[in-house]
Amino acid sequence: MTDTLLQSIITGVLMGFVYALIAVGLSIIYGVMNVVNFAHGDFVMLSMYLSYMAGTLLVWDAVATPLITVPLLFLFGFITYYLLIDKTLRQLYVVQLAVTVGLQIFLRSLALIVWKAQPRALQYSIIQGNIEFFGYSILTSRLIAAVVSLIFIAAIAYFLNKTWAGAAIRAASDDLDTASLMGVNYHRTYALTFAIGAALTAIAGGLLMSFQQTDPQGGMRFGVLSWCVMALAGLGSLPGLIAAGVIVGVAEAVAVTFFDPRSRLLAIYMIFILVLWLKPRGLFGRK
Amino acid sequence: MENHQPLLKAVDLTVDFGSLRAVNHMNLEVQRGELVGLIGPNGAGKTTAFNALTGLIMPNEGKVFFKGHDVTHMLPHKRCQMGMSRTFQVIRPFVHLTVEDAVRVGAYNRHGERTVKSKVDQVLEMCELGEMRNRVCADLGLATLRRIELARALATEPELLLLDEAGAGLNETELAGFMKLLHRLNEEEHITLLVVEHVMKMVMGVCRRIIVLDSGEVIAEGTPEQISANPRVIEAYLGKRAVL
Amino acid sequence: MNIAAFLKRNVGWFALLLVAAVLPLPLQKQQYTMVLFMLIVLYAVLATAWNIIGGMAGQLDLAAGAYLGMGAFTTGTLLLRWEVTPWVGMFIGALMAVLLSLLIGYPLFGFKIKEVWYALSSLALCEVLRVIFLMWDEVGGPTEVYLPTVNSPLYSMRFTTATPFYYILLVLLVVALVINFRIRATKLGYQLLALGEDEDAAEVLGIDARAAKLKALVIYAFLCGLVGGVYACFYGYLHPSFFDADISTEVAIFGIVGGMGIIYGPLLATILLVGVRELLRARLGGGLEGLYLVVYAVVLIVVALYQPRGIAPLVSSVLQKLRNALAPGKKEASWR
Repeated sequence: MTDTLLQSIITGVLMGFVYALIAVGLSIIYGVMNVVNFAHGDFVMLSMYLSYMAGTLLVWDAVATPLITVPLLFLFGFITYYLLIDKTLRQLYVVQLAVTVGLQIFLRSLALIVWKAQPRALQYSIIQGNIEFFGYSILTSRLIAAVVSLIFIAAIAYFLNKTWAGAAIRAASDDLDTASLMGVNYHRTYALTFAIGAALTAIAGGLLMSFQQTDPQGGMRFGVLSWCVMALAGLGSLPGLIAAGVIVGVAEAVAVTFFDPRSRLLAIYMIFILVLWLKPRGLFGRK
Repeated sequence: MENHQPLLKAVDLTVDFGSLRAVNHMNLEVQRGELVGLIGPNGAGKTTAFNALTGLIMPNEGKVFFKGHDVTHMLPHKRCQMGMSRTFQVIRPFVHLTVEDAVRVGAYNRHGERTVKSKVDQVLEMCELGEMRNRVCADLGLATLRRIELARALATEPELLLLDEAGAGLNETELAGFMKLLHRLNEEEHITLLVVEHVMKMVMGVCRRIIVLDSGEVIAEGTPEQISANPRVIEAYLGKRAVL
Repeated sequence: MNIAAFLKRNVGWFALLLVAAVLPLPLQKQQYTMVLFMLIVLYAVLATAWNIIGGMAGQLDLAAGAYLGMGAFTTGTLLLRWEVTPWVGMFIGALMAVLLSLLIGYPLFGFKIKEVWYALSSLALCEVLRVIFLMWDEVGGPTEVYLPTVNSPLYSMRFTTATPFYYILLVLLVVALVINFRIRATKLGYQLLALGEDEDAAEVLGIDARAAKLKALVIYAFLCGLVGGVYACFYGYLHPSFFDADISTEVAIFGIVGGMGIIYGPLLATILLVGVRELLRARLGGGLEGLYLVVYAVVLIVVALYQPRGIAPLVSSVLQKLRNALAPGKKEASWR
């Protein structure tokens, strides 16, 4: 009993880091641009399919596919920003919702056309196998996914704090008008932010493909859980996002192991609703 | 019995934003029928004090009394039903409503479907908005929107009206008309007014008593003449300007 | 009110109702077309109900599927277990939906949860219920629970064609529209519109934000619950997929695309968008699975981007021009 519990907690923690990585993308988009992207989960789904394609065509390992998918998703985010998001900035948030839901339907039906309804998975990952850890076995691919996610979250933190582009992004998030007065072109900064947010999902997508399959409806789950992670974390705190990702990952893993595999999303939603009721500013929020 | 106590009273009112203290142990009394000005340099905490008095934010310490009742934790709409309403410094119009409809929103505070229309007409006429009653707020200029904001607060039939920089952005003529309206509200409609104002000319012109706030504290209180001669007030204003 | 004047003023609506009422007569035999019309009316009721909480009160509710499912399961289970006729059951189902809405709305509005967070929690409600009913084998479960025909098809609302359902839903649509007009013309409507624009400004004018929003939510949930009862009877079974997040978002989209707060907007958007979608499905469905949805998504995005105030203002300005051309000098009509 405790063994199974610990086992699922370990799985959940590892998964949580990947969730945090996905949520970082959503969080900088929402935090900086105040844009509500309902299609973020579907970006993950798209990334996973692109990883699948790169993996099968080039016979690459899943973990290597972000080398191709990250530039693709960056470009995709860039184009999406100028084509759609830029036009919604001064609109009511309901218009943003309508546009990003449209994007969501678009991506899902596109995936359905290109890859059909049945789930797709990559086969031979070089990092398959288990690692023994104090008597608990950990799927190597999950461990690698967690470590890589942490590295990239740290890289994002470094980027935001130490580079000029990062400073511009932070300035734009503080005050749009002042930032543009000080010579920050907010359109370009926003485009960069949105593209980075999308590119982060490509990393997560590649990592997820090393041990998961993907289907056209899979975006729903990632969208929901990244909003949940963000609600837990509050805005503007990267360590908070990691902690929140871990909480969500563990809750999900425990619910699946001990309750019912179908209750995966239920656990996440319950956390989401409880957090909104009890701590509307998030557990670790600064804003 | 209510007449013996001040209409509005704040005791030790304190509001913190994180580590910043916006309002610091503020004490304030407004008697029934008064027309009081609340002034102070930028960032003195006037708007924050207003928000705490009207219930849009909760103070960290202190109490607010209205008509002798403790209303510190009462929601804004309850205070309005008791007879307190306000306008905003940064105007907050109902942009997609017509002028008439915006005023009607306020009029429902004390009127049912039968009498609401005549109340709206009365307020529109008083604020000289009759001609533009069918215009949509989004199409109107700042001066008119300020008047609409005042009108919709008046329509709630308040005993106490808090005006947050209602004269800001108005030109000379508009300002003169506005001051006349304030006098009329105070003297003919018997509405007690507490006005935050930046435009010195206006405060000095209409208020009979002035309270000066600096760094969240009340530093002076008195008639316009007393205030303009008060060295602390001059220092607060000049000091700030020197920094700027 | 003077009846003649009333008829004359709303002549457009009555004409529309007449067309809707006689529409099935020539089309009775074409089952597919009737089902399509029925679905349009079904969505239109939901979207028109959404206008109260979403369009007027500005709360981006994404729980239409939750209230619909609640109505469906209550109505269906009452028929299945206790042989209660759906004609009564749908009202009990609507009351259950109201109960649910109070349960979720009271704390959410109390904590001032707004905008995207309200949207997501209402969407969460839908998903939570779906999973609960999926795991609750006594009532739901993963397999369809078929509804029996008790006494007579009329008693258990089990008709073999879509036409009777079309008429039932048409009545609900009229009810939803009348409720909308009633609210819009009275205190609650003004309060909701004010809240939808600026909550703080509304509150200092004496509006109890929580109470007003709850009223709007309750009316909306009640209407969705009623539709749910009909929905269950039309499909003839119960399934947790009735708690449909896709329906919920679609209903909100119809409300937004139609024009926030404009009463006939959601109806218009539903007719156009569901029409476009089904037309595309019929035309493109044979070839590629999902292609019609791609085109539909593009239409949706284009409308949202280039007509952000909704398509209703566009249509009403066209109508206005038409009217001016026909009868110059007439006073401007107020549609909102």
